[in-house]
Amino acid sequence: MSRLLQKLYDVCGMIAGGLILCICLLISAQICLNAFGRFAPGILPSTIPSYADFSGFMLAGATFLAMAHTLRSGGHIRVNLVVSRLSQTTQFVAELFVLIAATGLIGYATYFMGALVVESVHYGDVSTGIVPVPLWIPQGVAAFGIGLLLVAVVHTLFDLLSARAPILSSPGEV
Amino acid sequence: QSWDMPTPYGDSTFHTQNIAQFADDVREATDGALDITLHSAGSLFPHAEIKGAVRNRSVPLGEFFLSRLSNEDLAFGVDSQPFVATSYEDAARLWAAQEPVITELLAEQGLIPLFSVPWPAQGLYTNGEIATIDDLNGLRFRAYNAALEEFATLAGAAPVQIEASNIPQAFATGQVEAMITSPSTGVNSTAWDFVTHYTPINAWVPKNIVVVNQRMFDGLDADTQAAVLAAAEAAETRGWEMSAAEAESMTATLADNGITVYEPSATLIEGLQAIGETMLGTWDAAASDSARAVLNAYNN
Amino acid sequence: MSDPMIGLILLGLLMALLASGVWVAISLSLVGLAGLVFFSNAPSGLVLASTFWGHSHSWALTALPLFILMGEILLRSRMSDDMFSGLVPWLSRAPGRLLHVNVFGCAIFAAVSGSSAATAATIGRMSVPELTKRGYPESLILGTLAGSATLGLLIPPSIILIVYGVATEQSIARLFIAAIIPGIMLMTLFASYVAVRAWMNPDLIPAIDETFSLREKFRASRRLIPVALLIGGVIGSIYGGLASPTDAAALGVVLATILAWTSGAFSWKLFGAAVMSATRTSCMIALILLGAAFLSVSMGFTGLPRNLAAWISDMNLSITALLVALTIFFIILGCFLDGISVIVLTTSIIMPMVSAVGIDPIWFGIYLVIVVEMSQITPPVGFNLFVIQGLTGIDILRIAKAAFPFFLLLLLGVLLICLFPQIVTFLPTYMAS
Ligand code: NA
Ligand code: NA
Repeated sequence: MSRLLQKLYDVCGMIAGGLILCICLLISAQICLNAFGRFAPGILPSTIPSYADFSGFMLAGATFLAMAHTLRSGGHIRVNLVVSRLSQTTQFVAELFVLIAATGLIGYATYFMGALVVESVHYGDVSTGIVPVPLWIPQGVAAFGIGLLLVAVVHTLFDLLSARAPILSSPGEV
Repeated sequence: QSWDMPTPYGDSTFHTQNIAQFADDVREATDGALDITLHSAGSLFPHAEIKGAVRNRSVPLGEFFLSRLSNEDLAFGVDSQPFVATSYEDAARLWAAQEPVITELLAEQGLIPLFSVPWPAQGLYTNGEIATIDDLNGLRFRAYNAALEEFATLAGAAPVQIEASNIPQAFATGQVEAMITSPSTGVNSTAWDFVTHYTPINAWVPKNIVVVNQRMFDGLDADTQAAVLAAAEAAETRGWEMSAAEAESMTATLADNGITVYEPSATLIEGLQAIGETMLGTWDAAASDSARAVLNAYNN
Repeated sequence: MSDPMIGLILLGLLMALLASGVWVAISLSLVGLAGLVFFSNAPSGLVLASTFWGHSHSWALTALPLFILMGEILLRSRMSDDMFSGLVPWLSRAPGRLLHVNVFGCAIFAAVSGSSAATAATIGRMSVPELTKRGYPESLILGTLAGSATLGLLIPPSIILIVYGVATEQSIARLFIAAIIPGIMLMTLFASYVAVRAWMNPDLIPAIDETFSLREKFRASRRLIPVALLIGGVIGSIYGGLASPTDAAALGVVLATILAWTSGAFSWKLFGAAVMSATRTSCMIALILLGAAFLSVSMGFTGLPRNLAAWISDMNLSITALLVALTIFFIILGCFLDGISVIVLTTSIIMPMVSAVGIDPIWFGIYLVIVVEMSQITPPVGFNLFVIQGLTGIDILRIAKAAFPFFLLLLLGVLLICLFPQIVTFLPTYMAS
């Protein structure tokens, strides 16, 4: 189960990386069109419609999908200068507190991101640019990503409880 | 009771000043029972999120650019359709036709329109005078929505997407050579730094709208509701006057700073209106019944 | 409850959460949530969701992951090593030697990117490992990087000047021009500081024993060609009108990849590793930005920064006293909020009092940006500190300590533009006439 979940975080992380590459390709294509239009006007269309909107949506997708993967690789930063000077037992309690607080906040955020998607579906919200994109699609990806972060936090909480020792301060082990 | 109100534009914009006056009027009329705090320049929510935030009651009321909603229904965007309404009189008639229709559309989302105020009419900025529509041929033209993109293509110009904040640099580097925007935007982006000519072709008169959440409004007592509606009506009247004054003073500012302001020639207007007709055809094919209803009411 | 009391409670909560090791982004969001739930009447859950969504898909933000990716590719290619080897002969006599790469590298990169986080991430990705390998002291490596990267905000293009220009309706072109001399001034201050430190304590900087003839210098410089092509290509595309500053980031990635491949020692595997590393770093920064945005919205609802600014406004101070009061106010606020939030939350109150005493709004914009630059390197909430912790794993408090001299240099910069406003106003006035 644990390995299956880890696989899921990593696959989503890779999709996020792919989205960043897609942003790069999309914008590069637009620059090529700009250059073409400058030197040989009128041959190719001059713009990719709503490319800024699409880049933004892909960025949101990349951010939210990578959250769980980043958490499990110790990529989200925290201040451990204070905690690392405490005894192992106190560190364990501190990490328990950290993970419970994070579970609470991210659970809350997941619930309301879900509510946002439901609302977008209900009212059929679309983006305001040249190409109308149904907003529930990128919002749904975002909600899924933050939901996966919730799973990863709870997963880490289980790891902590079964290890009975602090695990967050040495990111290699997470 | 205290209400937070997000608006997208800065404090020196006449729209924001008008709304600040509206908030003062409400406070005074209700003896402070309803206190509206203004959060200007998108400081609470980005422009794109304001409508949603009012709808889900994150905030009770807010302002946004009306034709942003034209992807939901073309009825919202009639005021941004080129050469349909090209003067304040036309714009006022168009709003009279548009208001009942969009009131109904917004009601489906639990929103009530309070008042709507136009921006000054949109003029054409170029380097050199544009005498006929052919002069636009081959120019790189700033387009930030579907209608402008279609307009540019029909005029034989090349549409280019440029963010408003990037306008001066885009002109300086030759990325764009012409744009249609209001004299206010021209002054704010110090258009005299990068263009020489301006002509008030009055392509369209777009509007901002202030909406309130139905359930929040219903939660007010009858006296407060009446005070809000009275202040809104006053704000609409005042806003239209401010807009006309703004158009005049901003055009003068353009001229004072060395931009040649000229009246569009009859042939140019003719050419532009021909494009407007063609665009209206495309528009009509995609329009919903409500959007057509607006246009019919306006034309009769 | 009174405003100062609410402020202190929220500050205490933020400190406690951070100290107990709660992730920075989560700490910021929790404090924002506490502010909304206890001290405002807004529906906190919906505001949280709207803010997280609304701030995650902004176009201005898309440049950030791309610049970070560019840094990751350069790090894994031979180019970053080449760049340092190429610069060694030129900087071997300069007091402070290769530390100046941080200062000038950040200044040059600041002309490409609009944010200080992207500048810190891209330059730091290459310079921190190279300088550490060569034995430079950690505090100066981190300090010069954290400090100089703040130039990303001031040297145009600058996201924060755009935000200020839009919020106050000032010409963005004029703001950009006004920022040039102050940017060069700060760069000079930073470089001089490095030189003075090296001159006072010669053992601090690892020696370069070889001496180089002019011919050797030029031969070594050939290794700088790929990096020069990259920088030239990116800056050229912006000023040649082919790309907006956000677009240019994508071009930077493409060019970096091509150059990495042609200069050898690059592979698909390294490319994949670069992409994944960039994905994690930008996700980390984006999540903190979302937390900071939510905290900022929460502050907007509670009205704390607004009331604080209004309190200063009610004192009816003279210009000098007002600027002193505002600087202290912004430094304190900048410890806990990110720079853009500070500006957005307070301009409505600050601008009227600034124009009332007759301060030039263009000058004030530059002043604000320098003050906001300080907030990037003050703990607990300083984005350059976060980025560098993400790069090096070194705790933000240690980085903040290393960056403290640069905080003082920025303060000196503020003092200089207050004493000699011409530093800011000269170029815009000159261009206008
Ligand atoms: Na910059
Ligand atoms: Na700070």
